[in-house]
Amino acid sequence: MARLLQVFGFLSVLFRGATLTFQSLAVGGIVFLILVVRRANQDSAEVQQACLRWIRRAAIALAGMQISYVLANSIILRQSADMSLREVAGANFVLAGAIGIVSAFTVIALTGARRSTGYADLLLPAAAIITSSVMTSHSMARLDYRAPLVVFTALHQAATAVWLGGLPYLLIAIRRAPAPDFARQLSARFSQLALVSVAVLASAGLLLSFAYVGSFKAVYGTSYGAMVATKVLLFGLLLFLGALNFQLVRRGPASSILASLKRFGEAEIGIGITVILTAASLTSLPPAADLTHDRVSGTEIFARMTPRPPRFSSPAMQELPEDVYAAQKKASEEGSVSTESFVPGQAGTRPNTPAEKAWSEYNHHWAGVIVLAIGILALLAQAAQVSWARHWPLIFLGLALFLFLRSDPEVWPLGPNGLWITLADPEVLMHRIFVLLVIALAVFEWRVQTGRVASGRARLIFPVLVAVSGALLLTHSHSLGNLKEEVLAELSHIPLAILAVTAGWSRWLELRLPSENQTRDAMARLWPLCFVLIGVVLLNYREM
Amino acid sequence: MQPGHRNLCVPILFAAVAGFFIVAPAVGHAVLLESNPALKSAVSGPDVPVKLRFNVRIDALRSRLTLIRPDGSAQPLEISKQTPADTLSAEATGLAAGAYRLRWQVLASDGHITRGEIPFTVTPS
Repeated sequence: MARLLQVFGFLSVLFRGATLTFQSLAVGGIVFLILVVRRANQDSAEVQQACLRWIRRAAIALAGMQISYVLANSIILRQSADMSLREVAGANFVLAGAIGIVSAFTVIALTGARRSTGYADLLLPAAAIITSSVMTSHSMARLDYRAPLVVFTALHQAATAVWLGGLPYLLIAIRRAPAPDFARQLSARFSQLALVSVAVLASAGLLLSFAYVGSFKAVYGTSYGAMVATKVLLFGLLLFLGALNFQLVRRGPASSILASLKRFGEAEIGIGITVILTAASLTSLPPAADLTHDRVSGTEIFARMTPRPPRFSSPAMQELPEDVYAAQKKASEEGSVSTESFVPGQAGTRPNTPAEKAWSEYNHHWAGVIVLAIGILALLAQAAQVSWARHWPLIFLGLALFLFLRSDPEVWPLGPNGLWITLADPEVLMHRIFVLLVIALAVFEWRVQTGRVASGRARLIFPVLVAVSGALLLTHSHSLGNLKEEVLAELSHIPLAILAVTAGWSRWLELRLPSENQTRDAMARLWPLCFVLIGVVLLNYREM
Repeated sequence: MQPGHRNLCVPILFAAVAGFFIVAPAVGHAVLLESNPALKSAVSGPDVPVKLRFNVRIDALRSRLTLIRPDGSAQPLEISKQTPADTLSAEATGLAAGAYRLRWQVLASDGHITRGEIPFTVTPS
């Protein structure tokens, strides 16, 4: 039963993240169609049809995710609370889900019908989609200032959808535009819309932060505060790209700017989705304002982050707990989890032993050496044109082997637990998938760097995987309480994640921007530099 | 498929991959702020008022309180309907001296489920 709940608990979070993404794409597309395409002066029938097709696809995906989310959550509730179907059916999340599902199907129906009139009727289901999402946000469960918080959340989500969800449609429209002037007209209109959206989402976000974070100390002292700060940093990155776009639209000649505009747009979509998913993970954390005890202090952060020599000697296997699963179970039975809230199926928490912490630090520090070497060699290959340095991706194979052997010492090949546990323990499974990703990354990028692959798509695998890994780091572990160790671990992972996201998308831009765009050269230097910095941060990673 | 379509597929593929991989393995955010009986406290029996206050609004109809007796048997407690939106109240009666655990599971108004356990001891009155 516990395993079943764990699986459904995990799935329900996945569905939540996907729901937010597809909701933004559906609502953003509808607003783009009405305010940007329809208001354009030229004949835009083909662009309209393309937008309608993608809105419909987003709505289909949204309906699927909403149905899956409601089902997964209902099963958890029925199993864990022994509740009847009738009782579950009356829950707020079911009602919210039903509104979202009906709205998504309405969008599907309306976008499927051929029409010659406007699209204003699509705004109603779009508003209902936002409403359904707000109904399951933090604001609905607050005790104080509930009504204004609901309004600010709705504005924040709607503005996010219009800006980030509208971006893919701008790229679709530019590609289908019958003339460069029309594409430029669309870009200029979307820029105006994006400016307003950014102002609304930033203002609403600021007000929400006052309510949910509350103080500057909570920004760095709690997981929630640190994640909000990360969101703001990524938002800054998006604004920077948006500013580059804005300059292009205003100043560049129509013939050459569109190619650059599309490429910046792609990077913005990627980073935008990372921000949306970071926001989705925020909904699974208690607001910082509610956790006033046991916050991490500035002194504790300083003590943890102060540079020290790396650890290059590992504790012996005998020093680690013999069976972490038995230890975890024992901790759970002894009631060590009872001081905090936890979700159905979640395993009991157990503080790591000094040997386990030393083991982890050793892993991080050697990983730091490997990534630092990758960054330096990539810089040499890029900036100094050193030909042998182009083989740097092969160093990733060493990282994969190192992770495979040492990331989970309790599991085969080093530990007593067999290979089957790889599939049963989500954390071990995640590590194993990560090893496969690193191998794939090494092989693909080595072929790209040495000229064995000319295909455009194969070259993009490396930046996408790096960016996905960065986003993964942003959300990979959260505590429902202020467990200091978890907050400190999160604070050390956030710079790594931001650097990885920056590295991934700057490499993407280097590959995709037209050669005459000067930003391309800066991007070519930026991503190896990010790798160097990731290596340096890893070398100073501490757990004690 | 047109080349333009293929190019667009990559960010969309990223969205799909990210949607399925990038989310925290924990959901829910109802945090217990205070409780009676308090964690690992000793209370006098035989009747013990139970009151749990959370940081958010709770769907009391879909929340559960269960008392685990010293012999391991479970007794569901009836949740009072006359309590503030963030509080669960109940009355545990006829408790003999011994070690008990109060198991709670709440559904927050935003649809998130959380649970926890409060061990406490009943002393003879």
